[in-house]
Amino acid sequence: MDVIVKTISRILFPFILLVGAFIAFHGHLTPGGAFPAGAVIATGFALLVLVFREPDVEHKLTVSELIDLKSVSGIFLMILILSVGSLFRKELTELQTPLKLWSGGFTLFSNVTGMFMVITAIVLILYSLVRE
Amino acid sequence: MKEKNRVFGKLVIILLACFMFWSVMHLPPFGVFSEKGVAMYYIQNGLEKTGSANIVNSIVWDFRGYDTLGEETVLFTATIGVILIIRRKLNGRNR
Repeated sequence: MDVIVKTISRILFPFILLVGAFIAFHGHLTPGGAFPAGAVIATGFALLVLVFREPDVEHKLTVSELIDLKSVSGIFLMILILSVGSLFRKELTELQTPLKLWSGGFTLFSNVTGMFMVITAIVLILYSLVRE
Repeated sequence: MKEKNRVFGKLVIILLACFMFWSVMHLPPFGVFSEKGVAMYYIQNGLEKTGSANIVNSIVWDFRGYDTLGEETVLFTATIGVILIIRRKLNGRNR
């Protein structure tokens, strides 16, 4: 790609990550949540894959790393929803102040973990389709 | 024996249809808000139960957590399927 496109996307990429992280971490206070945040961050990776060559991007963030991240976050989400979220929810919400960033009980952790699930899913499918 | 099974099957189907009509007739009318439903409970107790100010998020991740877990499972399975089908042909460097 062009030098201008490369430079602009290199500048823009951290801000896309920042917006996605904001949407995920504020999911329990403002509209948003895990799925929009994951979609936004995966859009940033799609920009990188389209602008730079796909093997260069994949060299930094390999497929096996993505699969590991996806499996770990999936198991964490399963533990969170199936057992811990219903057992210790009351104790955790008593520690937090409502309407602040540190609130929301287990929905905060679920949002961040679900964001990783969505990012890894979209980026893995993107890698496979672009290579094809 | 086969004739008997057929008659029994028809009876079961008629019984199930009767139950379905009966339960549909007792549904609340369409588009009319009723305070007895679960929606009012979510609105009134969502903040103090889950601590999440965004009611959609508290329903998605907390009250209906199993549903979202199933959604994530579908996502996981779809990704693994795409990798298995497309990457198999490529003989890729890393997996």
